[in-house]
Amino acid sequence: MRRSVSSIALIAALGIVFMAIGTMRRGLIARAQSKPESTAVKIDNFSFGPATLTVSVGTTVTWTNRDDIPHTAVSTDGVFKSKVMDTDEQFSFTFPKAGTHPYFCSIHPKMTGKVVVQ
Amino acid sequence: MSANPFDIRTVLLASHAQHVVLIHFPIALFIMAVAFDYLAQWTNNRALAAAAYFNLMVAALSTVPVVVTGLVAWQWALEGQKLKGILLMHLVLGCASSVLIWFVFWIHLRARRHPGESLPTYRLSIEAIAVLLVGLTGHLGGFLSGVNA
Repeated sequence: MRRSVSSIALIAALGIVFMAIGTMRRGLIARAQSKPESTAVKIDNFSFGPATLTVSVGTTVTWTNRDDIPHTAVSTDGVFKSKVMDTDEQFSFTFPKAGTHPYFCSIHPKMTGKVVVQ
Repeated sequence: MSANPFDIRTVLLASHAQHVVLIHFPIALFIMAVAFDYLAQWTNNRALAAAAYFNLMVAALSTVPVVVTGLVAWQWALEGQKLKGILLMHLVLGCASSVLIWFVFWIHLRARRHPGESLPTYRLSIEAIAVLLVGLTGHLGGFLSGVNA
């Protein structure tokens, strides 16, 4: 009788431990999933790299000017518009919804890029 | 990005923007005017002095559309945002160069309107400074447009 009680207690304890581990794991996964994504575009040698970037909704894209001269990142659809970025300056924008956003440098209009938000 | 050739903004802000095209006129004309003026001073040649005067006149006049298109590009392409760094230096040096070109032209114009007066020799120093400023402004402009990259 005593043996069966301790077996039940052991099983219950193991069950509680497994449930706790499962809950912690789910919490960690949920936290990892809710963490906003971010990605970078490097401006160098009169070009945006990568020229086409595909990201998911809610992603923050950061443009960094690694060139010796100023540049901007301005979307043709008016969704985002940076100030003039001097060397090593950055501009970030979070894309709230899906869409395709072509952009260019307003000082050097031949410099173009595209952000595809899925 | 497709461009509409009949859209005024597109025309003014195209990659071959007018400022970049027009700027070559005052640069070339002013440098040649100064060269003619130095030669005229050295040789005492009236034909060279006249060439210097007319080059200066057209150089001064051609600074007007250059300054206007530069300011328009700043207001439209960059929406008039506060400039800094190379862009600010280019703007300040460009304006200073234009003022000096007009000042040099005014010196020549005044001397021409008063036949008894000879051209002051100090103008040669001002012209030399103006050529340096024009060269520096053009260098920064070339750097900005990517020509020097």
